[in-house]
This record gives sequence, structure tokens and C-alpha cells, in this order.
Amino acid sequence: MKFIVSSSALLKQLSSINGVVTTNPVVPILENFLFEIKDGKLTITASDLQTSMITELDVESKEDGNIAVPAKILMETLKNLPEQPVTFSIDPDTYSIEISSDNGRYKLAGENATDFPKIPSVTNATTVEMSTEVLTSAISNTIFATSNDELRPAMTGVYINLSPTNATFVATDGHRLIRYRRVDIAAPDAASIIIPRKALNLLKSTLPSENLPVTVEFNNSNAYFNFNNIKMICRLIDERFPDYENVIPVDNPNHMTIDRIEFLSSLKRIAIYANKTTHQVRLKLTGSELQVSAEDLDFSNEANERLSCEHNGDDIEIGFNAKFLVEMLNNISSKEVTLKFSAPNRAGLIVPSDKSDNEDILMLVMPVMLNNYV
Amino acid sequence: MEGIRKIIHVDMDAFYASVEQMDFPELKGKPVAVGGNMERGVVAAASYEARKFGVRSAMSGKMAALKCPQLIFVKPRFDRYKEISGQIREIFFEYTDLVEPLSLDEAFLDVTENKVNNPSATLIAQEIRDRIKKEVGLNASAGISYNKFLAKTASDLNKPNGQALILPKDAHDFLEKLPIERFFGIGKVTADKMKQLGIHNGRDLKEFSLQFLTKRFGKSGLHFFNIVRGIHLSEVQPNRIRKSLSAENTFEKDLSKESEWEEELAKIFEELTRRIERTGIKGRTVTLKIKYSDFTIQTRSKSYEQYPEMEVIWETAMELLQQEELKGSVRLLGLGLSNLNLTEEKTLFGKQLWLDFDPLSE
Repeated sequence: MKFIVSSSALLKQLSSINGVVTTNPVVPILENFLFEIKDGKLTITASDLQTSMITELDVESKEDGNIAVPAKILMETLKNLPEQPVTFSIDPDTYSIEISSDNGRYKLAGENATDFPKIPSVTNATTVEMSTEVLTSAISNTIFATSNDELRPAMTGVYINLSPTNATFVATDGHRLIRYRRVDIAAPDAASIIIPRKALNLLKSTLPSENLPVTVEFNNSNAYFNFNNIKMICRLIDERFPDYENVIPVDNPNHMTIDRIEFLSSLKRIAIYANKTTHQVRLKLTGSELQVSAEDLDFSNEANERLSCEHNGDDIEIGFNAKFLVEMLNNISSKEVTLKFSAPNRAGLIVPSDKSDNEDILMLVMPVMLNNYV
Repeated sequence: MEGIRKIIHVDMDAFYASVEQMDFPELKGKPVAVGGNMERGVVAAASYEARKFGVRSAMSGKMAALKCPQLIFVKPRFDRYKEISGQIREIFFEYTDLVEPLSLDEAFLDVTENKVNNPSATLIAQEIRDRIKKEVGLNASAGISYNKFLAKTASDLNKPNGQALILPKDAHDFLEKLPIERFFGIGKVTADKMKQLGIHNGRDLKEFSLQFLTKRFGKSGLHFFNIVRGIHLSEVQPNRIRKSLSAENTFEKDLSKESEWEEELAKIFEELTRRIERTGIKGRTVTLKIKYSDFTIQTRSKSYEQYPEMEVIWETAMELLQQEELKGSVRLLGLGLSNLNLTEEKTLFGKQLWLDFDPLSE
């Protein structure tokens, strides 16, 4: 079998799916790309068994055939070649691959394509349409709050709940929780799935910056994302997501509205002086003044700043992990944010003060205790 | 530290079992085993009534039930034991700040200088035991001597509910007669090795030169040489808190096959399980230790945000083992837990709170 393809066109397609390939896969063949040629079309698959990505491009070829090509060595070769047509010649008996370019010849050992795991296809799927812009924003607004704790598998992914009127994306690590809701995505029948973090990270880095339509299909076990000429298939996390609505406090007598950037910059400075284990910062609200402070008694470090804000409610002092606050405030785009609290041991809420039409975002964060008593 | 020290070792009598008998009077006077059950698990503590039948801690529940058919098994309540242990420690602190807890039920106290200005360690020990009885309701035994090892050995002499003093002038006679397995730092394996050398008691051990002992037992040789001469300089360390819990085994001959590793690791895991059940300790980090025949040591660990169950600890151990490339034959395998529930902050200050999802709430 033989085919000719542009080195840069091939590299571009491979780069978009290469993220799936792990360095130490469960089965060694997964260190390869699967190349399948049919009627002048090259379909390339990469997989780690949980997540697979497929892309295709046109090549010049007289015959059909399949081969598994070592991903790393192929990527490296293409990256270092100047743009030109390259010829792949494959020996169907030995699976040896020879790449010839103007610069020379490169021979590498391929593997039998039939050993490559089968990628599940779509059956009984529910389909939802959205744009790459919406999907990118939903992922980046939630993914940072997912958990790394393998003992709580449901929380290692983003929960997506679809209803006839909206779509809700939720992520939590048990300390904080993000609920991101869009009214411009909906499904005729209610459904909910949990998508693993790795798949979403891959999507985030692969989704094109120009706004294109994405088709999302899912059934009980897998989800399929289709955009450009890339397909991603991932296994869903088959767990019950925690009852997140239960933990969102409804009664928050304290409302503080503050300039987001001012608050964020202050937190970043104060955090430098916080204890490196707890990252605890103290927010003290007195009238319309917010005092942000931190101390690390072990090193006699301390810092203190005063900011003005709008505040409704009684004076309150509450501690939070500065890293969490910074991460959350970074993911909000509005000029001002509103923080809502009730007590130093109850969750605090962060919401953007001005909402955009289609999205609704709510962030929840548990405090770090300032006292030894509740 | 200059001059002769005065060390008290306080050891609660059948602590867990006595707490159960105190809290549940219907258990009083009956053979009680804390931990384990008829089918599985190990006995963490046995009441004196049960010990008469030969029930011992670290014995399997099955064996215990066999020895004493009327044995009553009760579930351990570590929180309660910790609470009582705290009350006892409060009493200690009224006498000295140099308190080194060894576990929930025993501690070393250095009373060379003490807060009550009582020159007699014997009288202090008596007073502490009386107060534990009166204020907490439990019996304690105590050993008094001039170093930790002798104090610990002494507390066993008149157990239960008694105390003993080993004076410097009596120490040498005492140590010469002491059976080798009763020496501090000599476990079953070392004791067996010593017996093979004809060392059955302190007098036998004294016959051997430091050079011989270090050659035979490595670094521990010096410790053995000193201890039999009544020299044990280790100070009472008030801040000593257990940081890890582990089990390991040095193999009689080095293992080169992966199947053997797994088999041995399973045995080590069993021992670790016993230790965990006995102490009630939980840890968030699982560490696998591998010592190769060339004495290079490799460790690998994995941490969890929540304390993993035994099942997860085992899976993690296997995962860590399988991650390892075989680097030649293996001399020792060990498995341990760190980031323990004992060292975690007990104070709320600085504690990151959790969202209270039902049923994930803590």
C-alpha cells in the first residue's frame, strides 16, 4: 500500500488528535495512530480506550488499506520536515512503513491495524447542537473545579443536565462548586451525563477558535462530539452526581458587590503572605469597607489591604482559600461581582453582577475556618 | 541531660477492653475482646477475664473464639478511647510537660524535674495511678527507672494495677536475668536469631563484643550492646506523634520473580491490616518500599483526599508494585500509610470545609 500526502496537512490533523495518545497506555498498540485508507480518504484514529479521537483528510492513493503507525516518531518526523508531499509505503506483511521525502527516507516499524481496539459507534443517541464558542465557554467555566479524587469518581468529570429549556454544567471537588447554565442549548427530553475531565481538556485544546457548530450525541455509555472534520468519542462516568442543588444556600443575608479586577488583584497580593498549606485569606466586612488580610504565623508574614465595596447586611468575618477565589474570579468576565454569605462556616456564593442574556453562572465555595468554634 | 533521670512509663491495663467494661457494666467480669469477630479480623485488646483463656491481642477472632467460646466480641470505638486517653494525658501534664505518648494507652513521663516538686518518682507514679482510677475509672500500671527502656520493662512486672521500680544499682542484675525477647527493640525475628547464637537472656548477650554485634545486626548492634548494660539515652520526646504506620519484611532469600513479590506483598498487607485494626489509624498516603539486593531503596506513593478503605489500600499497593520495573532481585518489601488521622489538625482553625452533599458528608 502506498499513499502521498502533504506533510503539513497531515501534521495539522495529527496534532489535533495527538493529545489522546498516552505515554504509557494500557495496551501498547495505543501508542500508535490507526491509519485507514478508503477511496482516497485517510481516516486517523487515536485512543486511550476511555477517549478516542478521529479525523480524516484526502490523500493520493490507488489502493485501500490499514496500518498502525507509532505516534511519537511520526509526529517528530513531520514536525521537523519542511512542507512537501511525502510518500508512505507500507509492507502489508511486515507492517514496516517507509516515509520518503525530498530530504530522504525514514523507515519505522508499524503494527497490524486489526490489533487496534474498535471504537464504539453511535447507537440510540440523543443529539444536541451547540456552537464551539458555547462549548468552550462551558468547559472553561467549570473544568477547573473538578476533583482529582479517584475515590469520588462522579466528581472527576463535569455533569451536564439537559432539559427542554436549558442546559446546566456542574463541577465540584467538594470544596467548591460551579453551576453554569445556558438557555441557548436545550434538548427535547431531559437527560444527564458526566463527562470525564480528560475528554473535556482535550476538547478544550482542540476546539477551533472560529465559531463553528458542534454536534453532541450521547447514549448511556458514550458521548460523541463532532466538529470540523474531527470526532471525539468518550466513555461517560457511570456514577450518580451529588445532589448539588441541595448545597446551594438560598438564605444569604450578606451581599457584597465589588469591582472584580480590584478584588482579584488584591487577593493575588495578599495570597503571597498566606499560609502555604491552607492559602487562607480573611475577608472582613465592616460597613462598606472590605478588609482583605492573611498571615502565616510560621514565618511572621502578614498582609492587609482595604477596599471599598457595596455591602448589605451585618458585619462579618469569613476565611477562604485564596487560590479558589482567584481561580473563580478569573473565570468571570463581568466588571463587578457579588459575593453572598451567611456565616463563617457556611458556603459563600459568587455571581457576576451583570449577567449576559444566555448564560447564568453561580460559584460556590466553602470557607476555611477562622476560629476553633463553629 | 545531666545526672540520673527519673522516667515513669504508664501503661493502662487492657485499655480498650476496660473502657468497654466501664461504659457497659453488663460486660464487667466477663471475657471481652475488642475488635474482630468469630469469622474474621483480629483482637485489638482482650479483657483480663479473656486473657485467662489465652486470648491475646493481635490474635485472629477465630482463634480467640476457639480458646474462649463464651468470649464477647465488641466493636472498637476509637473516638471514645481517644477521648479517655486525652483525659489521662491531662493528668500527666499536671506533673510534667515531658510526656511522650507511645499510643493511646501508654506514655513515658520524665519527672526528673516536675511541677509538683515531688522528689520521689515512685510516689508520683502512685499518685498518677490513683488519680486515673478516681477521675477516669480505669486501672493503670507503672514502671519507674532511670531510662525509658527500663521504665517500660518495669511497668510489666507488677501488671495489672501495680507498679515497679528498677533502681540503677539493681538494673544490671535485672537485665542479666531478663529473657532476650523482653528487651526493647528486640522483636520476634531478632530474638530467634539471638537464640540461634545461644543468647537467651541479658547475661548471654553481655558476652558478645560490640564488634560482633554490629557485624551481625548492623546499626542495631550498638543499641543491643548498650541496652543490656542499662544504657538507653533516648529522651522523653513530648512532641512525638506517630507520622506513619507500616509493615515490612526482609526476605530470607532475595526474590526475583514478580509472582513472589505479589505473594509477599499480600502477607505484608495482612500484617499492615492487623496493625491498622489494632490502632484504628487511618492514612491518606499509601507508600510502597522496595529494597533491592544491592541495598538501593525505591519508594513510590499515592495520596488520596479521603482516607482510603482497606480494599483501596490493597489495590493501590498492587498498582504501585506493578508500576515498578523489575530492577533485579528484591531483598525487602514494605507497605505503609502516612498523612495519618492522628497528625491531621485537630483544631478547626485553618480547616477547609467540605460541601455537605448527602451521603458524602463526613
